[in-house]
This record gives sequence, C-alpha cells and structure tokens, in this order.
Amino acid sequence: MNRKRRTEILINGSKDLSRTLAAQIEGKYDVKIVEEPNNGLVMIKMREGSKKSLFYLGEVLVTEAKVQIEGQLGIGIVKGIDLDLAYWLAVVDAAYNADLEEIESWEKILEEEEIKINNEVVKLQSKVLMTKVNFETMNE
Amino acid sequence: MGYVAIKGGNIAINESINRLKFERLKGEEIIEINRIKAGMRGMIDQVMSEGSLYSEDLAAIAIKQAEGSLEEAVFLIRAYRSTLPRKHYTRIIDSCEMFTERRISASFKDIPGGQILGASYDYTHRLIDFDLLDETKEDCLEWLESFKSKNSIQWSDTNLRQLPKVSDYLRKEGLIKSCGNNDKEPIDITKKNMEFPTERSERLQILTRGQTGAVTSLGYAALRAYGALHPTVGELRIGSLPLYMQNPLNTADKDEDNYYIGDIRITEVETFIPKTIDKKQGKKEIDFEIGYGICYGQNETKAIAMSILDQCLETGDINYPTHDEEFVLLHIDSVESTGFISHLKLPHYVTFQSKLDSFRKTHKGERYDEDKL
Repeated sequence: MNRKRRTEILINGSKDLSRTLAAQIEGKYDVKIVEEPNNGLVMIKMREGSKKSLFYLGEVLVTEAKVQIEGQLGIGIVKGIDLDLAYWLAVVDAAYNADLEEIESWEKILEEEEIKINNEVVKLQSKVLMTKVNFETMNE
Repeated sequence: MGYVAIKGGNIAINESINRLKFERLKGEEIIEINRIKAGMRGMIDQVMSEGSLYSEDLAAIAIKQAEGSLEEAVFLIRAYRSTLPRKHYTRIIDSCEMFTERRISASFKDIPGGQILGASYDYTHRLIDFDLLDETKEDCLEWLESFKSKNSIQWSDTNLRQLPKVSDYLRKEGLIKSCGNNDKEPIDITKKNMEFPTERSERLQILTRGQTGAVTSLGYAALRAYGALHPTVGELRIGSLPLYMQNPLNTADKDEDNYYIGDIRITEVETFIPKTIDKKQGKKEIDFEIGYGICYGQNETKAIAMSILDQCLETGDINYPTHDEEFVLLHIDSVESTGFISHLKLPHYVTFQSKLDSFRKTHKGERYDEDKL
C-alpha cells in the first residue's frame, strides 16, 4: 500500500491500529530513535481561486518523529500535539521502507480500517446533505 | 532623544501578575481545555486565523490563559509560534479537494452540486436561549443520540468531496475570463519584510491573518462608500482540506509517495464583482472579476470582507483608502496594531518631560486660568 493511502488510514482511523502495528515491530526489531517526537510547523502552500496563483495560507502545528529500523529511516508526522501517534507512524513508515515481512499481513488490516473510515464519511455526508436546499420543493 | 533605563517596581510587577491570576481564578471555577475546544469553536477559529497557526489545542490554552481576550490569545500564539522550527511545506493545496460541509451562492439559485446550508447562525432568530442556563450533560448526550439516529436523506448524485467550484463552471461557460495556473513561488511575509508595491501572494497572506474586526470594518468601508463596489458572493464554502507533504527522503515528485498529515477546516469565499470596461466608439461592456477570501475555521464575515479587500487592492484606485495597500495591509494585523496601541502604556517619562519643557518655554509667564476655559 502506498504511503499516501497508508498515512490517510492511520491518521483518520483508530489510534489503536497504529499502536498495534508499531508494537509488532518493536517486539521483534531494534528500533533506533533518530528524532524524538517533537513539535514544529508546516507552512501551507495554497492555490487561490481568483487568479489561480499561489500564496501561503499560514502554518499548522505538527508532531514529527524519525526512527530507523534495519538501516531504513521512517518518518511519522501528524497535525497537532500527539507524541505517541507520531512515533507509531514513524515505526510503521520505517517498516514499509525496510520492506519487513510484517507489512504483508498489514494490507488487509489497513483496508478494513479504510472501509470503516469510508463508512463514517458516508454517514457524515448523509447528515450534511440533510441541509441541502431543494428549491423545487419550495416552488411547489 | 534617547531612552533612560529606570529601576524599581519589581515587587509591584510580581504582585500585578498575581492579581491577574487572581482575576482568572477568583470565581473558583476551572475551564478545562477540552471544554474550550468543544464549546468555543468561534473563538478558537478566530485565534487560529489571526495567530496564523492552526492548532485547536494551542488556541484553547491561549484562550484560557488570556481569559477570553482574543488579542492577548493571538499574541500568545504568535509568540509561541516564533519558538518553533518550520519543518516542512505542504504540497500545493487546492480547495477543490475540500470535503464541503457548507456551501452557498448568492449569485445563482442552481449551482452544480446544489446549495448546502450546513451549520450556520444565519437561519436562527438571534434570540437568547435562556434554556441554556439549565442545560445539563444528560440533555446534551440525549440530543446528540437523537440527532445521530435520525434518518438521513440520500443524495446519490452529490459527493461532498468533489463539488465543482462555481467560478470554474462559469469559466467553462465563458462568463468569466479563463486563466491557467500561475505557479510563481509565493513570497512569505514571515520571512521577508514587506515592500511596496506588494505581490498578490503577500497581500493574501496578510489579509488571511488579519484581525477579524479590522478586515470586516475595512471591507465594509469599501462596500459602503470607499470602493464603489457591489460584489455578490459567488460561492462560500466551509469544509475540511487534506494536507499532504512531499516525502523529504525522496525528491521524486510522486503523488502516492506523499505523507498525509491531517485535515484543516477553512472558510473560502469567491465574490463576483462587476466591472465596466470601455470599448471602442464609446461602447461599454460589463465584465466580472473575482475577489478571493479565505481563513482558518468558520469565519464567514471575515472571508467575505477579505474577498472585497482583495479586489480593492488588485484595482488600486487612488481615490479610496481601502484600495491603498499600505493603508490596508499595515493596519489589519492584530499583533501589530494592538501592540503599537499598547506601547502607549509604557513609560514615556523622558519624552513627555521634554514636551513639558517645550511647553513651559513657549508659554513662559502664561498660566491656564481654568475659569477662562
């Protein structure tokens, strides 16, 4: 599973999943902490809709961690203050970069979590769409 | 005129700080950060926007520490922000990727994807709800349960993550001039001192972090009498934008290799502003330009006012102060304006004494007789 999809699932899904996956790796491999989880900023580069030009919207607070497993670096970065999640994300990232055998069994788990996330999005969408205006009804 | 250092007052200052803490605690109630985050959404959004730092947690702590004073909370956020390293930049974010929770247009009744009212005070009576005096946690949970269990309407034709922009639709229809992407690197006003004339990227960055009241007031001034504008909200949308960051370990520009870091909630506005263009033989044509406004959180008035000021500054009509970028951009920042006003409280003993000396010299022998005043 590619990094974009994987990080979307791990950040939008249950934190327990990240914790569980990271624990599997920690119990079996030597996890070297390259950068302790710490706070920093990410600047948002945005395209505006009037002239389609670029500008900086502002910064977002993030927590970032870096670990090394089997010589491969992994980065965990997440919006907000969440030291644990940043660390677990870094461990999972390093596991993928090192192509550890565990990741094969993770695909299904991640896909299942993705289904749960999507179901929640569908529910939210249905609720929000309750406020969609039906002008035809108003004219009747 | 030089400054003279003075000593003393340490004990009084420490006691003043204690009195400040006393004022915060004297009610013998503590507001937990989670409660501020849960119940003070408007304040949090405003602090994040004016502080130019997206973090509900930090905004809530700042609001608690500042006892709800927004200017103080914004100051705290900006000060803390200056201690943190900037680690990365996001990939270019486009609001087409927004998961939209509110979206309205004042220009067209039927817009592709429809009008979605979302959560807004606009449709309330603005009467104080005295039932809130006795609201309990049980009431809250009961209401939430009931709300969640209600059946929802299925709109299979509407995907809130893929709502087309009204302006893009009008461009396709040829009603608004098309323009391609302009990928010129933006200037970052936190890294480079502003010089006039400014670039569009600088103006937008300053406007979006401007003080809500200042941006709204100047936008209103432009609308009422100092700008000769009559904009219409083409599209106002509120929702979550996903943030992605390029893999710093791999410079190959692959979308699937990006890191997702989370969503931010924003308000974005595009206003349509009619403009008369003189053509040959005295003919005139109406054209439309787009004013752009955006801010963190849900703050619709600020975003609309920003879109008005954006258009004013693009036009730059010398007849109006609201078109003067120096007048607008140098006076709307919360920390700069409140900081400069506040500095008047600092000791000016020497400078004021010097003014008094001048006064005495120029009015030698004269006395103000209060009876004559």
